[in-house]
Amino acid sequence: MTSKKIKAKTRPHEFGLEPADLKRILSLALARGGDFADIFLEYRTSLSILMEEDLIKESSESVTLGLGLRVIRKDRTGYAYTNDLSEEKLRSVALTASAIASGQTGQKLPLRFKHLRSDKDVSQARLIATSRPLPEKIQLVERTYRSALNHNPAIKKVQVAYGESLQYVRIINSDGLFVEDKRPLVKLVVMALAEKDGRRESGFCGGGGRVGLEYFERELTPEAIGQEAAKEACLLLEAADPPAGEMPVVLSPGHSGVLIHEAVGHLLEADFIRKKTSVLWNKLGKRVGSEQLTIYDDPTIPGFRGSYNFDDEGSRPRKTLLVEKGVIRGFLQDGLSARLMKKEKTGHGRRQDFSCWPLPRMGNTFIDRGEYDPEEIIRSVKKGFYVSRLSGGQVEDSGQFTFSVTLGFLIENGRLGRPVRQATLIGTNLDILQKVEMVGSDLDFGWQTGTCSKEGQDVPVADGCPTIKISGMTVGGLK
Amino acid sequence: MKTISQDLRKLAEKLVQYGLKLGADEIEVTMYDGREFNVDVRLGRIENLVEADSRYCALRLFKDRKVASASSSDLSQSTLQSLVQKALKRASLTHADEFAGLPAPARFKVTEDSLKLYDPEVAMMKPQEKIRMALATERIALQDKRITNSFGASFVTNELRTVLVNSSGFSGEYLQTYCSLSLGLQAGQGERLVEDYWFSSKRHLSDLASPEEVARIAVERTVRQLNPKKIKTQNVPVIFEPTMTSWLLAFLFSCVSGTAVYQQTTFLAGRLGEKIGSDLLTVVDDGLLPGRLGTRPFDSEGVPTQRTVVIDRGVLKNYLCNTYASRKLELPATGNGNGRGVVPNNFYLEPGKVTAEEIIRSTRKGFLLTRVIGHGLNQVTGDISRGASGLWIEDGRALFPVSEVTIAGNLGQMLQNIELVGNDIHFESPVCGPTIRVAEMTVAGK
Repeated sequence: MTSKKIKAKTRPHEFGLEPADLKRILSLALARGGDFADIFLEYRTSLSILMEEDLIKESSESVTLGLGLRVIRKDRTGYAYTNDLSEEKLRSVALTASAIASGQTGQKLPLRFKHLRSDKDVSQARLIATSRPLPEKIQLVERTYRSALNHNPAIKKVQVAYGESLQYVRIINSDGLFVEDKRPLVKLVVMALAEKDGRRESGFCGGGGRVGLEYFERELTPEAIGQEAAKEACLLLEAADPPAGEMPVVLSPGHSGVLIHEAVGHLLEADFIRKKTSVLWNKLGKRVGSEQLTIYDDPTIPGFRGSYNFDDEGSRPRKTLLVEKGVIRGFLQDGLSARLMKKEKTGHGRRQDFSCWPLPRMGNTFIDRGEYDPEEIIRSVKKGFYVSRLSGGQVEDSGQFTFSVTLGFLIENGRLGRPVRQATLIGTNLDILQKVEMVGSDLDFGWQTGTCSKEGQDVPVADGCPTIKISGMTVGGLK
Repeated sequence: MKTISQDLRKLAEKLVQYGLKLGADEIEVTMYDGREFNVDVRLGRIENLVEADSRYCALRLFKDRKVASASSSDLSQSTLQSLVQKALKRASLTHADEFAGLPAPARFKVTEDSLKLYDPEVAMMKPQEKIRMALATERIALQDKRITNSFGASFVTNELRTVLVNSSGFSGEYLQTYCSLSLGLQAGQGERLVEDYWFSSKRHLSDLASPEEVARIAVERTVRQLNPKKIKTQNVPVIFEPTMTSWLLAFLFSCVSGTAVYQQTTFLAGRLGEKIGSDLLTVVDDGLLPGRLGTRPFDSEGVPTQRTVVIDRGVLKNYLCNTYASRKLELPATGNGNGRGVVPNNFYLEPGKVTAEEIIRSTRKGFLLTRVIGHGLNQVTGDISRGASGLWIEDGRALFPVSEVTIAGNLGQMLQNIELVGNDIHFESPVCGPTIRVAEMTVAGK
């Protein structure tokens, strides 16, 4: 065991590696002719707690320690990773990743590195979860559990899951960048199961973000979370089967943000644009949707789940205008795509962990507020479908997307009618964007519990929108 | 390799001893040592090349019927010992659960060799050869002028050693390989794009489909969707291609998992012995099929895997249980343990006698489902609602492609309504089945 490893034990997030060590590895990685190389070091601790059947059943802790090294030559990426941080192993990682390049020594390393730290922290954590005692967290879980269970006698089962993590990252690249950051994340979710006359339904709710435990006292209490899930489950007991066919659809504020995540966000990720697989690849500056639609992705919103001080390549993120009054104005860029497309980086290069290379990803995506009073929007629909709660969505590069509605309402003569359960909405993005008829003034964000998957990598995200009316959309129901 | 195995086993044994010394009643330690290779090529060039090896440790301990677990990719002794210490402390703060604990010691009959989990050819394959296969696959597909863009081809290999040691005297390990070749394609122009992919994944290189075959099927699957129509909302028979049967079975698995059953979060809870499906429906979970992707000698708790008939000619026979679920439900553990939950081994629908072509030919009017998107599956009710594309069938022939529709139904009803089961099962994934026809589902369109 080397002395470096012993040091790593005492202060794990220092990784036992000096900047000089990392620079040496970077030079080695560029020795075969790469244009660019970077190192991503990660130390993360996570904790989860689970409660069901009146018992705190289990807690689990995990430690992630590792290093990923990338060498880029033109549009090719060589990647290698390891969780063994010995000098010998790191040298072999550098050689492996550089195998995609061949020829003369590439980029020279700069003499001086620019050392960046965040000046304004997007995480709003005062009581950082990882440093608080376990009983405090167990109490949060129990309070959530009780409030869901006691909400209504129809609630038969409750499950509560609490999760927290604290990720330390260190990023160094051949452009001379050296970044260190610390990213806390918390999540509290509950599932309540209601039963009546042999019928069972489940409801969900949750909260969290890049916040400390004080969030659950000030912003969203465990009681509010528990009751909301129970309410949804009970409402679904009374819900009818969904309608089927094309009809006007009104999206509730907040949760429906997932629509914009799927229908627009993914298709503006720069890798799909530069590879011309996105249906929007040649639409920059062109009108693709209704004048009322303005869409941003902003990873700098304090405390949000999809926020960060630096992306996973060390770039500072910025609020990025994607669509302005229906016209495409920007893409979500990571370093590689920005360089190949000769565009500015927007700070959207993200990765799941050290074993993955960065991809252009969303942070917090939302439709900006519009002019309409939400009541007026609902009143404008004679017969249609109101989407109250969504569980997720998916999109293809060709623009076809779906999203799953767990709770909806029929709209009859401008008023919300009977609750409706489990339906899928489907559309193609260019079509739907043009059919956005009214955008409300009530911008809101969904629960801070979302996770986005792309090419097998999961990252935390948030999304939001005001009340929105779409003139016609296919509702996949039973009748 | 021998020394790696001995090192890992020693590390696991030491950690088990350490846990017992600190006062754990029971402890289980798993070590993973993996090697990964992945090449992505696109438009004739290498796009990404990844090579890595990594290790990982997972542990679970019990004290006074209270449980805590931990995992780490940092295998230094100090980190692992501190995880054990903290797990013991956490366990003391949770609630006692009479059902918690390690499985009773089991006797082993299976030898690793008979399961054919490892192919030295995969382990020794040269990177150049993997790159060549990926490039060839894409090149063959791009010769077809109807293909307008490529998402790229990938060749992936994995090698993984699993070592499990627990305080009840269990000590076992196995080494496995995996390889896959895949290709994603796009066809069409402007705003009318379609996409699909094809793949082959196996444990043995000699079983893997050739670049020609992967390319041919990927092209066929992509171009057959060109110029789709939208159809009127209606109830029709729906034919599931094998890849579609796979997701339906994955949903069925979640509904027969012992965990969901004791939690009452599945519509199939409390229905053992009932006729829940058509006579044509026999579903098996088998961890012992030689060379298959879901095969393993023992599960994450050291329970030997086995062949379990889940549904026998429509009758629900068994739930799939880890040790905890088996104690809660007073049913046998089936070797499906995976940490806290359960996973399928080879979970498949027994093939029938008819060919896929015969199923299509015998359909007067129906929807051949080829792709789904979205996640509308509700285990509590069995409700299914997903975005779909496919082919419209009339008089036994595919007339035109259909897109932007949804299919809706209820798994409980669909199991009863399975009226034809094909003979075309390919075991390209641990959860799989042949082509099937379901008598009626709602296809929603215009």
